[in-house]
Amino acid sequence: MILMACVDDNMGMLFNKRRQSQDKVLRAHILDITANSRLWMNYYSARQFEPDTEPQINIDENFLSKAAPGEFCFTEDVDVGVYEQQVEKIILFKWNRRYPGDLHFNINLSNWRLVESHDFVGSSHEKITEEVYVR
Amino acid sequence: MKFGGKRRLQKEQERTEKQQAQKKKNKKQITILVSVFAVLCVIIGIGALTENNPNNLPDSSAIVSSTSEVSTSEPSISATTPTEQGETAPLETTQAPSGQTQPPAGTTISSEDIPAYSGSGAYIAINNNVPYFTDTDYTTTAFENYSALDSLGRCGVAYANVCQEIMPTEERGSIGQVKPSGWHTVKYDCVDGKYLYNRCHLIGYQLSAENANTKNLITGTRYLNVDGMLPFENMVADYVKETNNHVLYRVTPVFDGNNLVATGVLMEALSVEDKGDGISFNVFCYNIQPGIIIDYATGDSELESDAVSESQAPVVTQEPEQTPSTQSSGQTYILNTNTHKFHYPSCSSVGQMSDANKQEYTGSRDDLIAQGYEPCKRCNP
Repeated sequence: MILMACVDDNMGMLFNKRRQSQDKVLRAHILDITANSRLWMNYYSARQFEPDTEPQINIDENFLSKAAPGEFCFTEDVDVGVYEQQVEKIILFKWNRRYPGDLHFNINLSNWRLVESHDFVGSSHEKITEEVYVR
Repeated sequence: MKFGGKRRLQKEQERTEKQQAQKKKNKKQITILVSVFAVLCVIIGIGALTENNPNNLPDSSAIVSSTSEVSTSEPSISATTPTEQGETAPLETTQAPSGQTQPPAGTTISSEDIPAYSGSGAYIAINNNVPYFTDTDYTTTAFENYSALDSLGRCGVAYANVCQEIMPTEERGSIGQVKPSGWHTVKYDCVDGKYLYNRCHLIGYQLSAENANTKNLITGTRYLNVDGMLPFENMVADYVKETNNHVLYRVTPVFDGNNLVATGVLMEALSVEDKGDGISFNVFCYNIQPGIIIDYATGDSELESDAVSESQAPVVTQEPEQTPSTQSSGQTYILNTNTHKFHYPSCSSVGQMSDANKQEYTGSRDDLIAQGYEPCKRCNP
């Protein structure tokens, strides 16, 4: 699977069971990237998309277990570390801001190779950094 | 007229008189009941008005002696609480469109309700992270309320319904002219950005567009400002910008006794339209600075080390300049490349670290954080 996640400066994803941040432009970008594939997520994440009009979105609470190789998984509130063995590629979106966090992206990126990095302007974020890691 | 007829007539008269008397009695009783009811209505009405009157928000100095007891129970909602100087600090509404529902009386939070600082972390969840707002607080009307300063010049509760309407449309102006209670201009090498104290907005500029409002600025450490409060402000600001929703947002500075510097701030937030689905937190951010001892009564400070050498002594400068620069000079840290934590070289965790994971780094703290490293919670680099 290709894992997609958003993190703050401390690799945080969630605080008090709520996403740290969101961005309309980023959502559109994720839909563009995954347009010709399958995009898995759970119900919590699906609520910020419009799954009825986005055919690639598949909603399942156990999506990280069900995604096949080459398929995308967008995760916000799941401990990703336990799925590391199944991950082929990581696409990390960095907010470049600091938020409170109690759930962090816990895959150790020093074991992965950064192959791509670029910035784009979000809706409420001046700079979102997209980083792509492979094994 | 026969006697029988006369008697009947007399009885009828008596009955009529009796009925009239009864009617009068009933009328009198009804009048009394109506009066009592009216009086009750007035009392209830006054009570309701009193309850919703922001002027009854307790002064921040309704704060008593500190203990280390942990309390997660809901603090009492109280009426006006006199300060130790016998004054009250009413809330002042700086923006309240007509017809708005005023916020309810505030929550009295004292340092007794706050766990003592454990030595790590910039904040702690209070009441299981559930804010003390109630369903009746939900409103989509914008407002901002700031308590008047008390007789010691200290800020009180600041409460706003944060929405796009009150957010800034231009860059923040200078606030350097404001000297909040306990203010000192003092620098330490170990403080990121050097200055120990920042003028901390209770309700951040990015949420309220409040510049040099003296009722919204306290003396806060750099750590409180940047590590404690700012991340929460960011979370709320992003949510409001992205959803165009409202967030009830209340910041209560907590002072111990007559201290001029706050022990910390209670931050509560709750998103309105989705009833807390997007934003909900209740945290206490500690007004501490790792490595520095603060006298909260006066704002005086010193390095934590036993003896302060001349070279380590705080440098008092002429003019402080406000808040966060994110720059930090070259400091040496020890990185754990496995856990992605960074430490001061003197940290006890460094000795326990495997050599394979240990890496020395000299540079800025912010750069390390940008690289995905997290400061050690033991040594708080």
